[in-house]
Amino acid sequence: MKSRHTLRLLVLAYIALLIGAPLFLVFQRAFADGWSAFVAAITTPETLSSIRLTVVVAFLVTPLNLVFGIAVSHAIVRHPSRFTKLMNSIIDVPLAISPIVIGLMLELAYAPNGWFGSQLAAVGWQVMFSWPGIALASAVVSLPLVVREIVPILTELGTSQEATAETLGASPWQVFRTITLPNIGSAALYGGTLTFARVIGEYGAVLIVSGNVALHTQTLTLNIAENFENYMPQQGFAGAALLAIFSIVVMIALAGIRRRERNFHGH
Amino acid sequence: MPAGERLSGSPRTGRHKVTMTSSLRRHSLTATYLSLLVAIPLLALCTHALAGGPSQLWRSVTQPEGLRAIGLTLGCAALATLINVVMGLCIAWVLTRDNFTGKALLNSVIDLPFALPTVVAGVTFMTLYGPMSPLHVSLAGTWMGIVIALLFVTLPFCVRTIQPVLETMTWTAEEASLSLGARSSYTFFKITLPVLLPSVVTGAGLAFARAVGEFGSVVFISGNRPFHTEVASSYIFMLTQSQNFDAAASVSLILMLIALVTMTLMSFISRRIVGGVRR
Repeated sequence: MKSRHTLRLLVLAYIALLIGAPLFLVFQRAFADGWSAFVAAITTPETLSSIRLTVVVAFLVTPLNLVFGIAVSHAIVRHPSRFTKLMNSIIDVPLAISPIVIGLMLELAYAPNGWFGSQLAAVGWQVMFSWPGIALASAVVSLPLVVREIVPILTELGTSQEATAETLGASPWQVFRTITLPNIGSAALYGGTLTFARVIGEYGAVLIVSGNVALHTQTLTLNIAENFENYMPQQGFAGAALLAIFSIVVMIALAGIRRRERNFHGH
Repeated sequence: MPAGERLSGSPRTGRHKVTMTSSLRRHSLTATYLSLLVAIPLLALCTHALAGGPSQLWRSVTQPEGLRAIGLTLGCAALATLINVVMGLCIAWVLTRDNFTGKALLNSVIDLPFALPTVVAGVTFMTLYGPMSPLHVSLAGTWMGIVIALLFVTLPFCVRTIQPVLETMTWTAEEASLSLGARSSYTFFKITLPVLLPSVVTGAGLAFARAVGEFGSVVFISGNRPFHTEVASSYIFMLTQSQNFDAAASVSLILMLIALVTMTLMSFISRRIVGGVRR
C-alpha cells in the first residue's frame, strides 16, 4: 500500500505545480493591491472596450455555430452520403490545425489583397482587420465543438421515433421540433457553452485577423497580451483573472449540464 | 422525404439513392457555411503554398530558421506528450483506483487547461517560471519553458482518454495475476497496460497534434528567439507579419501534414492493438 501513497503524492504534486500554482498566481497577482485596484484595472477604456467586443462577438458567433452545428450534425447522421461524409471531415479541420494557421488561411482568402478582398471591398465590406474578421476566426476555431457533441447523441437516438412520427403524418419540421430537438437539447447546450467559452478565450487566430487596434479591434485576450508586452503586468493579470473566473464558471456550468443530462436519460 | 431514404444505412449501401449532387442541393446552406469558413480558406492556403511549385515549397520549408523551428516544435511536442502519457496513466489510475478526500476536486481540475484561455496560461507561466519567478526557477527563453507550457495544455487529452477505459475495467484479471504470485509491476505491464494501450495511443496522438500547433501558451515563455526558442507557429506568425505569405502557407501546410500523419498513424496503431487483443 506504500506504493499507492507514493503515486497519489506524485500525482498531487504534478497537478499542484502544473495547474494549481498558475491558477493561484493569477488571482494572487490580480488582487495583490486589493479589490478596488482590480476593478480599476479592468475598467480602463481599453480593457472595457475589449471586453465589450469580445462579448458581442461571442453572442454573435455562438447562436450561428449552434444553428449550423445542429444542421450539419443532422445532415451527417440522418442523410448519409459521400457529400455529408466530406462535410464530416471538413468540420474536424479546425481541431487539427494551429490557430495561427487558421488566422493565416482566413487572411489569404478575405484580406484586401487576398482572394476575395477586391470583391468584398467593392461592396464596401471590410472583413479582415475589423470585427467581422474576428467573428469569422472565432466561428472557425469553435466550429467542431457543437457537431462533436450532437453527432454521437443523434446516432445513438436512432430513427425509430422519428419514423413513427412521420408515418403518423408529422411534417419534417414537426418531427425535428418535437422529437429530435428535445433529445439533442442537452448536447446542444453543452456544445454551445463550449463554443461560447472558446470564442471568449481565442487568441492566436484573432491575433492575425483582428488588426489588434486598442479601443477598436482588440479583444480581451489581445488586450491582456498587450498589457504584458507593455510592462503593465498588474493590468494584464486583472484581465487574466477575469478570464480565469469565467473559465471556472464555464466548467461548473458544463458539469451541471452533464449531470442534468444523466438524470434526463435515467441512470 | 420518403422514410426509406432516411433509413438507408451507410453511405456505401445508400449510394445509388443519394447522389453527391442531390445531397449537395439538399444541404446547400450548410455547405455554403462550411465552404466560407473552412473549405475556401483551406484552398487559399494550399494554393499559396504551392504557388511557386514544389521546388519553391521545398525551399520555403528548408530555410534554416524554419527547419530549426519545426525541429524544436516536434522535439518539445514529443517530449511533452511522452511525459504526459506517463503522468496521464498515473493520474487516471489515482482517479479510478484510489480514494481520498479532495479526489472530486482533483478530477474537475484536470479539465482546466481545456477551459482556460491559452493567453492566460501563457502570461501566468511567464510569471511563474520567468525571470521574476516566485519559485526561483527561470525557464523563460529555454526549451524547458516551452515543454512546461505544452505539458499544461496537453494534460487533459492524456487523462480523459485513459480514464473511462480504466473505469470500465474490472479488477478480476489483475487480482488473479497478483494472487498467483506475479509482482505488481509485472501485472501492470502484462495485464493492465495492454487493455489501456489503444486509449493511451489515441490520447498521445491528440496531445501531440495540439502541441505541434500550440501558440498562445508558448509564445510568452519561449521568448521567440530565432534559431533558439522560436516554435513553428511563432515562425509562421512572424512570416505573416512580414507579408511573406507564400512561405507562411508552405510551413503551415507542412505543419498540417505532420499533424495529419500523426493522427492517422496513431489511429492505425490503436486499431492494430485492439485487433491484437481481440485475437
